[in-house]
Amino acid sequence: MKMIIPPPLDTPPAEKSFVQDFVLLLTNQLRVTLNTLKHQRKRTFIGMGILMIVFLSFLISMGAISYGMLKSMQPETVQGFLSLFFLVGLASQIFFGLTAAFAALYMSEDLELLFMAPVPLRVVFAVKTVSVLVSNLLVAFLFVFLPGVFCGLLFEAKASYYLLVFLSGCGLWLSGTALAELLNLLVMRIVPPHRSKEAVGLMGGLAGVLIALVFQIPGMMLGSQGNLDIGTMLAGKEQLIHVMNFFPWGWGSLALTSGITDSFATGLGWSLLILIFSAFLFLIALILLERGFRQGFISISQGDGGRRRKKRSVSSVDTTNRQQEKIFFGTVGQEQEAVVLPASTWAGMWAVAKKDLLTLKRDTREWFSYLIPLIIMAFFVVQFLFNASASSVSSLVMVLIMYTIMFSGNLALQAFGREGESDWLLNSVPLAGWPVVWGKLTAAVLPTLLLMEALLVGTSLAVGVSTSLTLILALAAIFLSLGSSAIGLYYSIKNCRYNPDKPQMRISPSASLMMYLINFCFILILGLSLCYLFPPAELVSALRMLPSVTFEWNVQSGLLSGLYFLSRPLFWPALFRISLGILLTGGLWSLIFFGFMAATVRQSRKGFRVELVTTSKNRLG
Amino acid sequence: MERVLIRTNRLTKRYGSVPVVNDLNLEVRSGEIFGFLGPNGAGKTTTIKMLTGLLDPSEGEISICDYDIRRQPTQAKALMAYVPDQPKLYNKLSAREFLHLISALYRVPKGIAKERAEQLLGMFGLMERADELLEGYSHGMRQKVVLAGALIHQPKVILLDEPTVGLDPASARLLKDILQEMARQGAAVFVSTHILEIAERMCHRVGILKDGMLIAQGSPEELRQKVGHGGESLEDIFLELTGVRENAELIKSLEEE
Repeated sequence: MKMIIPPPLDTPPAEKSFVQDFVLLLTNQLRVTLNTLKHQRKRTFIGMGILMIVFLSFLISMGAISYGMLKSMQPETVQGFLSLFFLVGLASQIFFGLTAAFAALYMSEDLELLFMAPVPLRVVFAVKTVSVLVSNLLVAFLFVFLPGVFCGLLFEAKASYYLLVFLSGCGLWLSGTALAELLNLLVMRIVPPHRSKEAVGLMGGLAGVLIALVFQIPGMMLGSQGNLDIGTMLAGKEQLIHVMNFFPWGWGSLALTSGITDSFATGLGWSLLILIFSAFLFLIALILLERGFRQGFISISQGDGGRRRKKRSVSSVDTTNRQQEKIFFGTVGQEQEAVVLPASTWAGMWAVAKKDLLTLKRDTREWFSYLIPLIIMAFFVVQFLFNASASSVSSLVMVLIMYTIMFSGNLALQAFGREGESDWLLNSVPLAGWPVVWGKLTAAVLPTLLLMEALLVGTSLAVGVSTSLTLILALAAIFLSLGSSAIGLYYSIKNCRYNPDKPQMRISPSASLMMYLINFCFILILGLSLCYLFPPAELVSALRMLPSVTFEWNVQSGLLSGLYFLSRPLFWPALFRISLGILLTGGLWSLIFFGFMAATVRQSRKGFRVELVTTSKNRLG
Repeated sequence: MERVLIRTNRLTKRYGSVPVVNDLNLEVRSGEIFGFLGPNGAGKTTTIKMLTGLLDPSEGEISICDYDIRRQPTQAKALMAYVPDQPKLYNKLSAREFLHLISALYRVPKGIAKERAEQLLGMFGLMERADELLEGYSHGMRQKVVLAGALIHQPKVILLDEPTVGLDPASARLLKDILQEMARQGAAVFVSTHILEIAERMCHRVGILKDGMLIAQGSPEELRQKVGHGGESLEDIFLELTGVRENAELIKSLEEE
């Protein structure tokens, strides 16, 4: 094909207005969104549909509760109620908006392209801000617009009232987003570009915990008070409500209560005040953003994000490098004969474990995978502290043991997926087999076990479990954790995957489910053999009352006979019973642990492959 | 005398107190291909980011086609194109949609943009997959899309950061021909590269950056004279000037053995 290169321009083309550039970039953003939707898989839409149904049911039930509460409130309490709602709304908007702003303004891959284009930076930021606003819309709708509309319906407000709902709602929505963008400046300054994915993961995790907490609050309130009555809670807190009037969430509630009491002009004044306040916040946020990016205070892709680097003496670095090169080449020259040096298996195992342990230490998202189960466990502990009883001690210890197993299995499940795109390394080094698998097991078990043992022993001592039992529990936790991790490792090596967009997705969901099922079976089998060691009194007395079973050739009789024969050792003398218990428990544990380890080693020798999955279509090499 | 299209005056970038680019004075004229060389971490990409307006310098001035990049960024950017080393694109746009977006951003009239997009897609061999999303493209194909985007608005100045990485030999050759044609038509071409053979064969002048400072600039012939050896390749000159001559000799001695 003939090369046609048009001659270069001598003068720049005429500039476009802010609105024209804004519309152009917004249209592009919409096209990208539309293309994303067009290329989604069907199952994604099904999942979204299910989520929507769950969300709507939650919304309807919460709406009914709120409506009920509003009905029983005095008009002056309604203002406090609205202030509280708006405050929660604003806080949620800041939190969720922060994640959205971080993703849009720091991690977005089009920033470099847009900054290079002859479009003013403020247009780029305005379009990015629209995307943050859209992501905050749901929170604003739930915590700002919806309560406003509810109030209007309940107090049969005039049509003009809904204008106030719209204005003050928009004001609070804009304020929340602007505050999120301002806070995001700080986050962008702290987090260097190469750790931005970690930061988003961390914020996502925190959001998850926050949502879990929010879902817990109504239950906790119901549990402690017997009913969910915010009106009574607010009734004696006039001073607090008064203080809230100095803040935007208070202005919002004042605007709406004025609207209800037919003081439209006052309500309009408060609504406009919020709008002016939000416009002011946006102005500051956009100015600081522009300055931050231009001055390198915030970095978009490369470099150190404005972090200070230590200056090293150039000559000393050069000299060291050259010395090392000479040593290296010298060594190669001297030892050409010894091509394969004998390698220590232990060194190899420790190298694999150390690599994983360093990743765990340096990637904050890894910390979070430990933090979430701990937070959930904290719920159990808090629940126990509020509801302490003799029976709940054993159930708490049971939960802790169960959790140790599941947690260990789950974290071992991540082990091979962690290799991500570097799976070639462990496949190419002469380590495949036991060194790799023991290394992976060590890295998976060490931190988990330390954490869970500390929690188990700490909780057991705190709730008054005897020292001997605590020691037995601690010992049991080690074996259970090892067994569970071996199962986890096997499923990890067989089903590991890596998603560059979501690095925490390291296993296929079906494998994860399967691992949990096998772990349950593992606990069940061990539990049965442990019955010989610690026979439950209730079971023994129940078995004593059973008549003797005679075997006949059918399934039912076979099952009954099997159970009958299995139960007989419970009535043996203690020495025989305990010996059988130790043998069976040890044997079953060894079978499962070494069986799964051997299977993992076999796969490691064959070579493992981390399946690369993306939310988008795979790129062609 | 050809017009100076890229000019930097005492350009400096510091992170904290550490200078990454130090007191850089550069001039690239119309019709000139300028090779920007330097070892890893010398400050090449930081310089390019400042030239493109992606990063503000700590000190000094930059003018592109006589427009100050800080005071008149939109005018300067309208006459400039940048090809980054990592082709970051909208994964959810097709190549054709991407080229139309770039034309609109650079204010190319719609009719001309459409015609030129088709020409460029054909020239880079992308026509058959022009309506596929960019997420399915290989690195080399994405690089071609970026190059097409850089050419669509007739830039007077083009800055390229490692442009041949990921390109097949035919596409690399095409790129070289395009850059030479652009220079012939009066554009200023600024190429940062590690492939010294390309720089030697294609560039009219080269500048060598080390630790943020320009340690040499001129035509390959001028640099040969400066180093004091005749008939040596640009690679030898580069290694000598950047102080890694010892490495070269070491490698040479190993090869001889």
